[in-house]
Amino acid sequence: MAEPGRDDRQPTAHEDEREFAEERESLWRITLGPTIWAGHFLICYASVSVYCFRLERMFGMEGLRLALGALTLACLAAIGWIGWRAFRRWEVWGTGEFSNPVGNAEDRHQFLGHAGFLLALVSFIGVVFDALPLLLIGSCR
Amino acid sequence: MTASLRAETTGPRPRAPRRAAARLWPLAALALLAGCEGRQSVLVPAGEDSRVLGDLFWVMLVGAVLLWIGMNGLFYWATRRSPAAHSQYLANWLVILGGILFPTVTLGALLVYGLSIMPDLRATGDGPVIRVTGEQWWWRVEYERADGSTVTTANEIRLPAGVRSTFLLDSKEVIHSFWVPSLGGKMDMFPGRVTEMTLGPERPGVYRGQCAEFCGESHAWMAFEAEVMEPAAFEAWLEAEAAEARPPEGALAERGRALFFAQGCGGCHAVRGTPAVGQVGPDLTHVGSRHSLAAGRLGTSVEDFAKWVANPGAWKPGAEMPAYAHLTDDQLGAIATYLEGLE
Amino acid sequence: MKQNRIPAGDLAPEGIYPPTEEMLDEPVPDEVRARQEDNLRAAWKTPQGWRYWTAVNNSEVGLWYTLTAFFFMLMAGVMALLMRLQLWAPENDLISADRFNQLFTMHGSAMMFLFAVPMFEAISILILPAFLGARDMPFPRLSAYGYWCFLIGGVFVIGSILFDAAPKAGWFMYPPLATKEQGIGSDIWLLGLSFIEVASIAAAVELIVGALKCRPPGMRVNVMPLYAWYVLVVGGMILFAFPPLIAGDFLFELERSFDWPFFDPTRGGDPMLWQHLFWIFGHPEVYIIFLPSIAIAAMVVPTVARRPILGYSWIVLSAVGTGFLSFGLWVHHMFTTGLPNISLGFFSAASEAVVIPTGIQLFAFVATLIAGRVVMTLPMLWIAGALAIFTAGGLTGVMVAIAPFDWQVHDTYFIVAHLHYTLFGGMIFPVIAGVYYFFPFFRKKMLSERLGRWAFWLIFTGFNICFLPMHLTGLLGMPRRVYTYPEGLGIDWLNQISTVGAFIIAAGFAVFAWDILRPKSGQPQIERNPWGGGTLEWSHEIPETKWGVRSIPYVTTRYPLWDQPKMVDRMDRGRYYLPDAEEGLRETIVTSVIDARPLQVQRVTGPAYITILAAGFTGGAFIFPTFHLYPPAIVCAAFAVVCICYWLWTSTARPPEADMKEAGLGLRLPTYAAGPQAVGWWAVWITMLGDATAFASLVFGVFFYWTSNAAFPPPGAEHASGTLVALATAAFAAAWLATRAARGLNRAGRVGAARAGLVAGPLLTAAGMAAIIFSVLDLDPTTHVYPAMMWALMVWLVAHASAGLIMQLYCLAGSLFGKLTPRYDADLWNVTLFWHFLGLTALVTGAMIGLVPRMM
Repeated sequence: MAEPGRDDRQPTAHEDEREFAEERESLWRITLGPTIWAGHFLICYASVSVYCFRLERMFGMEGLRLALGALTLACLAAIGWIGWRAFRRWEVWGTGEFSNPVGNAEDRHQFLGHAGFLLALVSFIGVVFDALPLLLIGSCR
Repeated sequence: MTASLRAETTGPRPRAPRRAAARLWPLAALALLAGCEGRQSVLVPAGEDSRVLGDLFWVMLVGAVLLWIGMNGLFYWATRRSPAAHSQYLANWLVILGGILFPTVTLGALLVYGLSIMPDLRATGDGPVIRVTGEQWWWRVEYERADGSTVTTANEIRLPAGVRSTFLLDSKEVIHSFWVPSLGGKMDMFPGRVTEMTLGPERPGVYRGQCAEFCGESHAWMAFEAEVMEPAAFEAWLEAEAAEARPPEGALAERGRALFFAQGCGGCHAVRGTPAVGQVGPDLTHVGSRHSLAAGRLGTSVEDFAKWVANPGAWKPGAEMPAYAHLTDDQLGAIATYLEGLE
Repeated sequence: MKQNRIPAGDLAPEGIYPPTEEMLDEPVPDEVRARQEDNLRAAWKTPQGWRYWTAVNNSEVGLWYTLTAFFFMLMAGVMALLMRLQLWAPENDLISADRFNQLFTMHGSAMMFLFAVPMFEAISILILPAFLGARDMPFPRLSAYGYWCFLIGGVFVIGSILFDAAPKAGWFMYPPLATKEQGIGSDIWLLGLSFIEVASIAAAVELIVGALKCRPPGMRVNVMPLYAWYVLVVGGMILFAFPPLIAGDFLFELERSFDWPFFDPTRGGDPMLWQHLFWIFGHPEVYIIFLPSIAIAAMVVPTVARRPILGYSWIVLSAVGTGFLSFGLWVHHMFTTGLPNISLGFFSAASEAVVIPTGIQLFAFVATLIAGRVVMTLPMLWIAGALAIFTAGGLTGVMVAIAPFDWQVHDTYFIVAHLHYTLFGGMIFPVIAGVYYFFPFFRKKMLSERLGRWAFWLIFTGFNICFLPMHLTGLLGMPRRVYTYPEGLGIDWLNQISTVGAFIIAAGFAVFAWDILRPKSGQPQIERNPWGGGTLEWSHEIPETKWGVRSIPYVTTRYPLWDQPKMVDRMDRGRYYLPDAEEGLRETIVTSVIDARPLQVQRVTGPAYITILAAGFTGGAFIFPTFHLYPPAIVCAAFAVVCICYWLWTSTARPPEADMKEAGLGLRLPTYAAGPQAVGWWAVWITMLGDATAFASLVFGVFFYWTSNAAFPPPGAEHASGTLVALATAAFAAAWLATRAARGLNRAGRVGAARAGLVAGPLLTAAGMAAIIFSVLDLDPTTHVYPAMMWALMVWLVAHASAGLIMQLYCLAGSLFGKLTPRYDADLWNVTLFWHFLGLTALVTGAMIGLVPRMM
């Protein structure tokens, strides 16, 4: 009676918790890329604001730019690692559709992996773009 | 309107860079198309800032037009020219190349271009320092002179060509925005804080500036003239502006002056060298020599002065200055003559 | 009787899942089918006569919502026409400056708050359940409540223009202009629209829960219709975007009503805070409007291309990515405020980065069309128009995202052109495409092909005639929001062209409106699935039935109507889940979030007056303060609370007549759920995320003042009483603990101890409220923004604590009157969840009032 790839597991009382536990890693990957972008963005904006409004007279901007530059590299490395792990999880030469007529957990798994990869890509570009002002503008004017 | 019909006193500017001149034809074509003298146009730059931004605009416009044609051409082809099914492989690559790779590269390049011009547009000024305060709905203008004194005027900015002037912008009640399109970008004016901008005008002429942040009922009528002058002419003008008001000439103007004080105008307006020291309204010491009256609303003929004094609210809804409709035409004419004579 | 010992919320589904082909092929006897249909018909009957208005079903509420939003759009459009007439010639005196300012303020506010966002919610309420094969939204009465709030608030706000009392400081309400504004216009804006924002958030919560928990069995996240994905993303964005505005409105109205100087620079306030809060809302708002329309395109394009969408996961990810990035753009509305170049640079960068996911979505559509066999239908024509217009708006968006260029064109007609290109292309055209595409779904009649083409070409050409010249008008120096302009700037003829274009658009809308409203009784009903679509909404029966789907299918593919050929027939025969309504109750199925395994039969609420009453009183609570009538406002608020309690008490989390029920196909499902299994718990969780965002915005305000103002708090300023703040914090923490303990004790069967916790809880809450009020009582909030901010935090906490107190008492009453028992404890789970948020709010507030200022 079972078709190939068919997922016959019964739902349990705490099904949601179970599924989330099963996909914890994929879900992390999906949200982590954009979250790193958001964190990088906020830290850059907030530290520059505080510096320019409060601390400009106390020390030069080079220190801040270097620190934020280092942060950028760290964020890029983290996003790159997430993207790479997601990339390896996902069957690159598959149909890219991640669905089949009987529906199984592997499709969902691959879909979330692909999702993580794409979001890492977009976040990576976002962080690179956000680092450009640090490179090209060096003052509080 | 006399103010707006006033011809532009533009001469060819010797120091204008050549690359700007080379790009002038599309600007000129558009200006002609618009059938105007471009006194308030982003497309007819008269300063360093507006020129740099104009170049940026044309580059972006060409790119945008090409991209628009490309994208919509593709859509037209896919839906109308060749609706049959095509290779999915090709379609996939289209998403990767057109959706990710191409925009990342072009947008990145544009961003680098845009960011790299920003520091120069906010370079520190090496010319005069001018304080401009936004009022309801006019501009208080104060020039800071080297000796520490200030010269107060209103609703008109004069600038020397070839140097960067600094503007310290402030506002009394609500947010305004200071903008002379021919010279460069705009900067908001906040009550309670001073914003700074610098502009590097290049080509002498009279341009029009306007408040760009909605500021209430007569936002539409909060404008000013910005005249770019040769540096020597500017110095001479500033010297004259610093001087006290000329005494009235002729009986009519004398009578106007008397009426001016009898009606209490000096309670709000200052005319330096007279007992009128009010600070509520615009300084009128040299109002007769300005390009316009009431922040670009009217010209500066005697009739314009009379029209304004009789009923400011008719020209500028919500204006704080009361109407002097109780004055007879003769009296209005006398005051107007006096004011028009304050050159 | 082992079952009776485990809490009803912890019961597991029993029986067979997933169903086998053999089971699905079993015939259904005709008499069974007829009986089931009778039962369903009775349960889902729409109330008749004047009782019709008590309906709460998504098909009725969604329809009212859509028509109301459409009506508000037409009104806002008429305002635009009046403005275009005034701008026909220089120094025109057709409309006074004051009236003109009211018109553009109301045009923008109405289009944004009364049309664009509600339209998304309206359409989603109308069609999302059908996409998901669900019978209704999870909380129908909440939809109805949201609709009545929207109607009352919308009529109040837009009606003010008829009394010459409309807000006139622009839809962005910048202080100090809007705080100084005489008259009640600004109050109408602040209170009326806050009221509608609350309704919007309610709808967003419901849509999110609907998309997460009400999918048909088997519909995993990777086969969800794209529309549902967009609903999730947009719902999430509403949750994080609207609360900063609500926090801003809260501060703003406190300043207007009680002279607390949040935005007054003479007393330490700062108008920039409003700009930040407004645009943290305002920019995501643009994407909140745009993404649902893309979602409509994502449903139309595959049908037109006769193939599944290409790059499903690309599109989902672009939507999620856009959602994230859209929160990093807000300062691009503030490029000219004199912030440091480098700060502007970050926002320029993010504004360019957001183009990439948007581009991916558009290219995925084009790729689908290339890979498919295109049949050009009328909806597709509108989508094509949308693309042509939207790409132009997007490209000018790329231009204005470059900060220095924006310095030139900001607040000019260039921006007016840009934003109308993005909104017409990104919202109006796709929505009209959606109306043409979905009209046969909800009215079972086709719209006219001929009129549709007329409307398209009129609106399309009119639009370009009106708005294309505006780019040049702006470049020639015309600022926005001017009621007139002098001659001689070279913009007269451009304005005349725009005015002509505006009237052509209006003619197009007249044709469109006529097509929708014209009587269609002589017209034949449509065939089932007239466009040959592949998604579930086209499985609905002809003639119309009110039950939605006859039985809830088992779905494993993205386009079940294409890929599961026997499905429609099986649905009609009632072969799938919940084919019957034996108890005469409205039911739908609740499934797990990721894999959509069936978990529960959810009883959804039916027709009710109470929602109308609750909305009316809520309206009173918001509308009376506009006229500074506070006592009636308080009375209304109290009645609103009573109505809502009555509504919850009588219709939610009632112990069921049986714990388990046959759901069909050999599956038995629980009928009661508590805690994370219950949809109500999810709704509380999601709502509180939004609430926490609003609170975070207030906390951000404190730090904002600290960075922008060197004298915050002012040197030597009096602080709140440290002792009292500490006491208050301790009391709230204890109340929190008592609530949490009551939940555990109750479930363990120690009802008496649980009740003691629910008695101690309210007492401690009340003590905490008193202590926090007294801690700031010596500070005068009108003197400076620092004491005002402390008071605002206090008011926020006290308001939430009052709600928390009512909830504790509600649970206590539930326990005393048998609604809440150790087995049936959903209410207490939800209240505990609320208290987790409230507890954290209290701790943070304590720190913000008692500690942080002393360290600043």
